[in-house]
Amino acid sequence: MPGSDPLFLKVDDFDVDGAVREAFERMPQHTRAGFLGRTVSAGAAALGAVAVSPALASAKPYSSDITILNFALSLEYLQASFYTEAEQIGALRGALAHQAHVVGMHERAHVKAFKQLLGPAAIKEPTFNFHGVTENPDAFRSTAVAFEDLATAAYKEQAPLIKSKSYLAGALAIHSVEARHAAWIRRLAGFLPAAHAFDDPLSDAKVVQIVNSTHFVTLKDPQTSMEAKPKFTG
Amino acid sequence: MIHFWVDYVGPFSDRRPKLAKGGVPRIESVDEGRGALVARVSRARLFKGSVAVVGALAGAAVGGAELAASAASGGSAATDREILTYGLLIERLQAAFYAAALAGGQLTGEARQFAQVVGAEERAHVKYLSAALGASAGASPHFNFGDSATDPAKFIATAISLEETGLGVYNGQAVSLTPKTLAAAARIVSVEARHAAWARALAGKDPAPVAVDVPIPVAQAKQTFEPFIVQ
Repeated sequence: MPGSDPLFLKVDDFDVDGAVREAFERMPQHTRAGFLGRTVSAGAAALGAVAVSPALASAKPYSSDITILNFALSLEYLQASFYTEAEQIGALRGALAHQAHVVGMHERAHVKAFKQLLGPAAIKEPTFNFHGVTENPDAFRSTAVAFEDLATAAYKEQAPLIKSKSYLAGALAIHSVEARHAAWIRRLAGFLPAAHAFDDPLSDAKVVQIVNSTHFVTLKDPQTSMEAKPKFTG
Repeated sequence: MIHFWVDYVGPFSDRRPKLAKGGVPRIESVDEGRGALVARVSRARLFKGSVAVVGALAGAAVGGAELAASAASGGSAATDREILTYGLLIERLQAAFYAAALAGGQLTGEARQFAQVVGAEERAHVKYLSAALGASAGASPHFNFGDSATDPAKFIATAISLEETGLGVYNGQAVSLTPKTLAAAARIVSVEARHAAWARALAGKDPAPVAVDVPIPVAQAKQTFEPFIVQ
């Protein structure tokens, strides 16, 4: 929404039907039974968590695991895009700019790892419009706190549902990094980094609902959507 | 504020204590463990959408099995108990460390606040895991931290070491837990990660130094913990 108050959202400018939800709902269609046999080792190595046994590398992936990894990839796309854009715009200074730089690198690494792990089953990156929150330090801080606490809660909910030990180890290794990110930005935002003795999980449905409510996700597949536009020839 | 933020405040509003003026956050009350682990993890909703998690885990090949405290793998009540027992030792040690640090009276400012907040959370973890383990929790060993807890410079360095090691152990062991117990333990693990991040920030280090947290084997963790345990 160029030229307007960056903190003002006009709902009808955006995809109110929720591109994120659509993207998430499409996930099971991307399941490709068997394709992961050759990528488990490399993917797990990218996640940096475990030494994968030969027995595991030949194991069949579970379709429910693919769904969960794609859900995680969606959240990582969102975060990586957010920090990358904030860094490129350059409105942040000092400790906040450093946080965006380092955390952005982490989120991009997570995206890369999940894409590598999922191979052709990886969902496509949607396009994002952060509506100015990447240009305003206060809005950036608030949004980053929200994203990181949300990601931590989302991973926490999904982890016990992961069937593959290798994927689980990878997800856990990222789960605690998201919690570190949350603590980091909370401190910079003036909140207690660890406000409670126990962190609660958050269901995938609730996570999607919250992400959708931001209208940060504008198109799930920009090229397809452009091509799909009707042509008016006169 | 943006639409996102209004929505966000709902589920997480109780997690956003404001900093007091001067940059030192107020201490907010720390929630206690809400019932025994066994009660909490029995919630049916944890299994929403999952068909055969337990069956899939039984007999699964375990990546990183060498990290497990137990030779048994695939998840069992006995393995859960073994891992939680070690988790309880870590929490007892951490709680004692922060208590000793505060008793020393030399911490000021945010370091003191860190010890107060984190110490209370570690005590809540002790209470929670003790309740989960019941009689087999046993008595706590005694600890002696010397000036590692009371000297302000050593306090931060030791806090980083204890928190990072505790987190690394949890991350290494969690893959061997049954899904039910994992769901419960994960609520503690991310809090330990927050503690580690906060401690690092107090030392002027990046709170999150790498993109993935590497698990720490128990044998390695013992080298960190055992010097503080009085035999």
